[in-house]
Amino acid sequence: SPPGKPDNIKCRSPEKETFSCWWEPGSDGGLPTNYSLLYKTEGKNSYSECPDYKTSGPNSCYFDKKHTSIWTMYTIIVNATNELGTTTSDPQFVDVAYIVELRPPLNVTLSIIDDPPHLLVKWSPPSKADVKSGWVTVEYEVRFKSKKAQEWETLDAGKQRQLRVFSLNPSENYIVQVRCKSDHGFWSMWSPESYIQIPDNF
Amino acid sequence: TSDLFDRAVKLSHYIHSLSSEMFNEFDEQYAQGRGFIMKSIDTCHTSSLNTPEDKEQAQQIHHDDLLNLVLRVLRSWNDPLGHIVTEVQGIREAPDTILWKAVEIEEQTKRLLEGMEKIVGRFHPGDLGNEVYSLWSGPPEKQITDENSRLYAFYHLLHCLRRDSHKIDNYLKLLKCTLMHGSNC
Ligand code: NA
Ligand code: NA
Ligand code: NA
Repeated sequence: SPPGKPDNIKCRSPEKETFSCWWEPGSDGGLPTNYSLLYKTEGKNSYSECPDYKTSGPNSCYFDKKHTSIWTMYTIIVNATNELGTTTSDPQFVDVAYIVELRPPLNVTLSIIDDPPHLLVKWSPPSKADVKSGWVTVEYEVRFKSKKAQEWETLDAGKQRQLRVFSLNPSENYIVQVRCKSDHGFWSMWSPESYIQIPDNF
Repeated sequence: TSDLFDRAVKLSHYIHSLSSEMFNEFDEQYAQGRGFIMKSIDTCHTSSLNTPEDKEQAQQIHHDDLLNLVLRVLRSWNDPLGHIVTEVQGIREAPDTILWKAVEIEEQTKRLLEGMEKIVGRFHPGDLGNEVYSLWSGPPEKQITDENSRLYAFYHLLHCLRRDSHKIDNYLKLLKCTLMHGSNC
């Protein structure tokens, strides 16, 4: 039979300068099937084909800087074709300004400060995102929990790149993670776990 | 000027947040299931201003020109913002929060425009264009009584407002860095 409908087209940009879209292929009808992604931007009448199927892995399309504009609506469709026919996905509409999902913050460091006793958490902005020029504005969130605890506690760090945590139990081992987002974007993944042993006299 | 710029950036950030929330609220309440997004590939009334479409373009354009573009975009929203405030009062069951946001955005955009005129005036005293931008072709015909068309026209305007307020916010943040820190950006 002809291929099933490609589904769940999802697009994300790590820095508001490039973006990628991924799709779920649907059934292949038992036959060799080719996929092609077509897109057009506002005011264009005709579709263009995906410029790069390789960079972002299987069933994906990568739009480099040259092919990325902000503040225009991309209409995106995926065609699945085998020798019995072509099936087209529902269209997906994407404005790159609103699909930003940054990489997690880098270089999370933890240090115990004695007076008054607290934990100082520091980090660096995510890779890729151009924070310095003002192109991307980043907000951060920190979460921590004792290894013994079930629930995370989460603190809003705003635009700061460090946060002081006071409410920790002495003698316990803590896990700390940081994540970030650009204004009106999606939260990044949490940074890898960082650990610290809180001193007995904390 | 540094202080003025800080305030302009805070204000533009605030205006974009409000516009974004207003769009989302309206979208959830009225647009879901009506296929409005399919139609929102219609261009915005400010699209003829040819504003930069990515970071490279925004950084290559001379800062005077970018400042002037910001002024133009802001001025071109004078009339439509007034219309949004009027229109939202005529929409059945529109929540008070949307009305409040519409009024607040109109006021704060006027403040931002005044601030930007001061900033441009300091860089170029006496060179402050005062053209009136009537890019907006006005509200849809009065005789459009079809509820769906009215809602779509309103949805589209909110979509454009969110987009333009985001552009302005982004351009101002870039400009702040360029003008305050020069080539270190
Ligand atoms: Na691919
Ligand atoms: Na680009
Ligand atoms: Na926008």
